[in-house]
Amino acid sequence: MNAGLNEYLVLSGLLFALGFFGVLLRKNTLVIFMCLELMLVASTLALVAFSRFNGTLDGDVFVFFILTVAAAEVAVGLAIIVALFRRRQTIQVEELNALKN
Amino acid sequence: MPIELLQQAAANNEWLAITPELMLGLTALLLLVLELILPKAKHGLIPVAAIVIQVVIAVSLALNFNTAFSGTDTVFNGLLRLSADGQFLRLFFLVCSIFVCLLGTVSLAKQRMPRVEFYHLVLVITAAMMLLAQSNHFVMFFVALETVTVGFYILVSYFRESPLSLEAGLKYLVMGALSSSLLLFGIVLLYGVAGNRGLPGGSADSMNFDQLRGFLEANPGNFLASVGIVLVLAGVAFKIGAVPFQIWIPDVYQGAPTPVTAFLAVASKAAGFAVLLILTQRVFTPYQNLVIPVLAVMAGATILFGNLAALTQHNVKRLIGLSGISHAGYLMIGVIAAYREPLAVGAIWFYLSAYLLASFAVFGVMAHVAGSNDADQELDHYANLAKEQPFLAAILAIGLGSLAGIPPLAGFMGKLLIFVAAFKAGLYPLLAIAVGGVVISIYYYFGWIKAAFFPSSLPSGGEPAPVATRVCTPVAGWVRVALIVLAVSSVLLGFYPGAFGQWVLAH
Repeated sequence: MNAGLNEYLVLSGLLFALGFFGVLLRKNTLVIFMCLELMLVASTLALVAFSRFNGTLDGDVFVFFILTVAAAEVAVGLAIIVALFRRRQTIQVEELNALKN
Repeated sequence: MPIELLQQAAANNEWLAITPELMLGLTALLLLVLELILPKAKHGLIPVAAIVIQVVIAVSLALNFNTAFSGTDTVFNGLLRLSADGQFLRLFFLVCSIFVCLLGTVSLAKQRMPRVEFYHLVLVITAAMMLLAQSNHFVMFFVALETVTVGFYILVSYFRESPLSLEAGLKYLVMGALSSSLLLFGIVLLYGVAGNRGLPGGSADSMNFDQLRGFLEANPGNFLASVGIVLVLAGVAFKIGAVPFQIWIPDVYQGAPTPVTAFLAVASKAAGFAVLLILTQRVFTPYQNLVIPVLAVMAGATILFGNLAALTQHNVKRLIGLSGISHAGYLMIGVIAAYREPLAVGAIWFYLSAYLLASFAVFGVMAHVAGSNDADQELDHYANLAKEQPFLAAILAIGLGSLAGIPPLAGFMGKLLIFVAAFKAGLYPLLAIAVGGVVISIYYYFGWIKAAFFPSSLPSGGEPAPVATRVCTPVAGWVRVALIVLAVSSVLLGFYPGAFGQWVLAH
């Protein structure tokens, strides 16, 4: 069986939605972070699929940029999470509410 | 074939065109080297070097304002597009960066923190924003935008000893990454549909803005393209803090170090609007039936939310964040008006310039009044400021007055120009909301001025007046000069917008 463009798009749309609602609904910062990465990967999948079916290389090249950016984001993000955990001993979202009026 | 192709590509690279960005990047590296080779006692020279070099870059950019884009329009094979608007924004971001570095010298002195990385990051972010404002291709656009965003994650959580700063950093990280993902998915969809050669106007280089526009013109009402446009606009709306994507603003503005809050409030917002203008006016123009209603609803909601939420704030950083949301709303009206009224683009630039002058005046005062806990800046801390520090209080009054749009000041002219453009474009309901918003904003801005000029009087609560412990730093000589320049130009630009106004509006 051959997967067409639509199947890829549906899959990437599903992954993207999974990540999006994960970010909104999950309570653990690390899980939220994984969901953010899932959204990026979903975009990457769609990009590669489009690139393949349109016959242009731009999409494949863009994937490298996205991976690099995602790596930078993770490096900074994990550093912030670790530093925060040292100060507050928690990474649960509902306990990180010191910034309130 | 590949060799010729590469030669052709290399011939199109105009490295001279991006000299300011290259200089900024090199300066950022130079600062790190300076930290290594200078003895500890002379580390105070590093911010001085950063500021002086940026002033030199800004002056040379201003002198070469028109020569930069006389020849070719797009360089680097269509990645960048040189234009008068782009030149103006480059100067704008440079000026922002200079003031942020100045504020940094005031704020960082109160913390035991490494200093040099702060200036390094500010320079890198500025260079990325300058590229962002000139981008003409989605790859350039995304990479520049992410450089800005990731840099800001670090800057927001820069006071890493303070849990508040870290919490703000984490919130900005989650929200920023979420918006970037939305934006990215939108870009991917647009790339995908516009790259389909089976459709009319489909192009092999569909991430290029000009090609994409050609495709959108040929295919009105394409479903996937519409979804892509909405997602891209949502991502940009996050950056400028438009309702319903404004939830991160108060927390992040409060927790971030004061200079970073200023950088976010002015430069990051201006970058968001530069991007929004490029996208709506140049790329998504064929889909204006979709874009205009979305923007109009967001603009109205943004103005109302920002002003109403700011009414009850006592923390000045949250207050300035929420009032910044309403400023974004006024600017969005300008973006909508720009479809029918070319004057509106110039009006937006003028408004942003006035906003820059006023905001940095206010943030300059905030940096001095703030204690060692940077997130804790209440209105009460400003009690009797006029008696103890008449200079700071005067600067604060001019800055806040300009933000509120009091007639002789620059902020008033900015609002007037935007409103005139909106009136000419026939946006009457939005105009009514905006005028209502301005009236509300005068109330809370004056509450702040009142706190600074009169002894703190608690509203009927009956509690004893809290002893406001204010540790006001003395104002260093050149910071004083900078604050005076900001205040005076705020006044002058209001009384006499003449040459600058005409120059800006002419674009």
